[in-house]
Amino acid sequence: MTTSARPNNKIFNPLAIAEEQFHNSCELFGQCMITLAHTIKYIMRGEIDWPETFRQCYMIGVKSWLVVGITALFTGFAMSLQISRELVLFGADTAIGGVVSLALVREIGPITAGIMVAGRVGSSVAAELTTMMITEQIDALKVMRIDPVQFLVVPRYVAAMLMMPALSVYAMALGLVAGIYIAYTAANLPVATFLDSVKQTILDRDFHVHFTKAWINATIVIIVSCAIGLHTRGGAEDVGIATTRTIVWTMTLLFVCNYIVTSLTYAPR
Amino acid sequence: MVHESSVDQESRTQPLIEVNDLRMSFGDREVLRGVSFKVYAGETLGIIGPSGCGKSTILKLLCGLIEPDAGEIKMRSQEIGLVFQGSALLNSLTVRENLALGLRRRKLSRQEQDRIILEKLTLVGLREYMYAYPTQLSGGQQKRTSFARAIVNDPQIILYDEPTTGLDPVISTVIEDYMIELENRLKAASIVVTHQLSTWTRTADRIVLLHDGKIKWEGNPEEALASQDPYMKQFAHATREGPILAGGI
Repeated sequence: MTTSARPNNKIFNPLAIAEEQFHNSCELFGQCMITLAHTIKYIMRGEIDWPETFRQCYMIGVKSWLVVGITALFTGFAMSLQISRELVLFGADTAIGGVVSLALVREIGPITAGIMVAGRVGSSVAAELTTMMITEQIDALKVMRIDPVQFLVVPRYVAAMLMMPALSVYAMALGLVAGIYIAYTAANLPVATFLDSVKQTILDRDFHVHFTKAWINATIVIIVSCAIGLHTRGGAEDVGIATTRTIVWTMTLLFVCNYIVTSLTYAPR
Repeated sequence: MVHESSVDQESRTQPLIEVNDLRMSFGDREVLRGVSFKVYAGETLGIIGPSGCGKSTILKLLCGLIEPDAGEIKMRSQEIGLVFQGSALLNSLTVRENLALGLRRRKLSRQEQDRIILEKLTLVGLREYMYAYPTQLSGGQQKRTSFARAIVNDPQIILYDEPTTGLDPVISTVIEDYMIELENRLKAASIVVTHQLSTWTRTADRIVLLHDGKIKWEGNPEEALASQDPYMKQFAHATREGPILAGGI
């Protein structure tokens, strides 16, 4: 059971801090694995509350649309500007479309959507579930013999698995639009040339990796935020601590897992 | 309040709740040190005692929310209703949906669910609030909704955790009246955990005084008020002099 870290005398004892961090990390890992196992069990049994899942699709997907769009657009602008500038110097301006789209499909699309959903949805799920724990709402569910994982985690997980790929594709598409605009205005590259380069560069495998990353990101955001939310007790201060913890852990895991998938699929052989 | 004489003698032979030598610690702090009691059908047991003496812990143990370190709990009914101290209504759901949660496993039709929910809401005087959200209700109305949710499956065991704490005296009386009415209707075995004098004197048939993890006194409310036991006397008369504050506030 996680509660807020109270002031103690460990400030001058880095070993004790490291030990505590390691213990907390192992505990969180175990909680995440148990939550994920229970979630998958209910999904395999088909015990999914679809009306609540659709409501969560709206909360996770539709409500993230604007923030993911703006982030993807400006990431696309900045990245395309840098790529265009360097490739024009080497006289390889026809390759701008290919390079921009590779970056978008393989990395920028999934990670942008993942980060924005982690920030917007992960924090809110952790805060909501922690508040439910503190106000005994989770205990009330247990007394009514309702498993909180089935009632609270499964709809959010299924919704995230449906919406995260959609948001990733949307982030990728907006990044591509930004790339086309920058290539046209900064490098005088016709749209047709940009798109030709995209078609020649992108393979089916890139989309497989894109969707794999989106599903892994959805799993990280929902399972970590729910596991932290469902295992925190205490008071108002602990809601803030749980939210911060969720953001730190989901962001870290998003980047680590993104690298692991990339290294497994694109590492030189 | 169900008086001794009205309780069916046959149903009293087998307690619905039986607790033997219950022990529970949180870290180094021993909260319960061998607590035993029985509650029969149609009877309300009041568990009273100072704050932090382990009253609410007993309810959590009875509901299976936490596991005891040692001791035995026998619950002779699967249907348990718990009225939480803070109501514990799910804020994202309407009153109807909160009550429907308790009916989920019975796989009833929507019409059948609505019939039961309306019946329970009528019982607590909240029929017109069926589609309201908990945040739109007053503290007393939330508590009554929590009552309705606890009895939605007509449980044989009802547990009340500080049902009148934080409410004004008038609303407290209303809540106590509902508890007495529910008791008379359902003939359930009830436990009310409280430190409000009016609540335990009005609703309980028998009370136990918990202090320092042990039962210090047991009897009916009339005996409690007249008791010369130092613990019971201090608690019932709310005085500073006595053994309850001996260990510090």
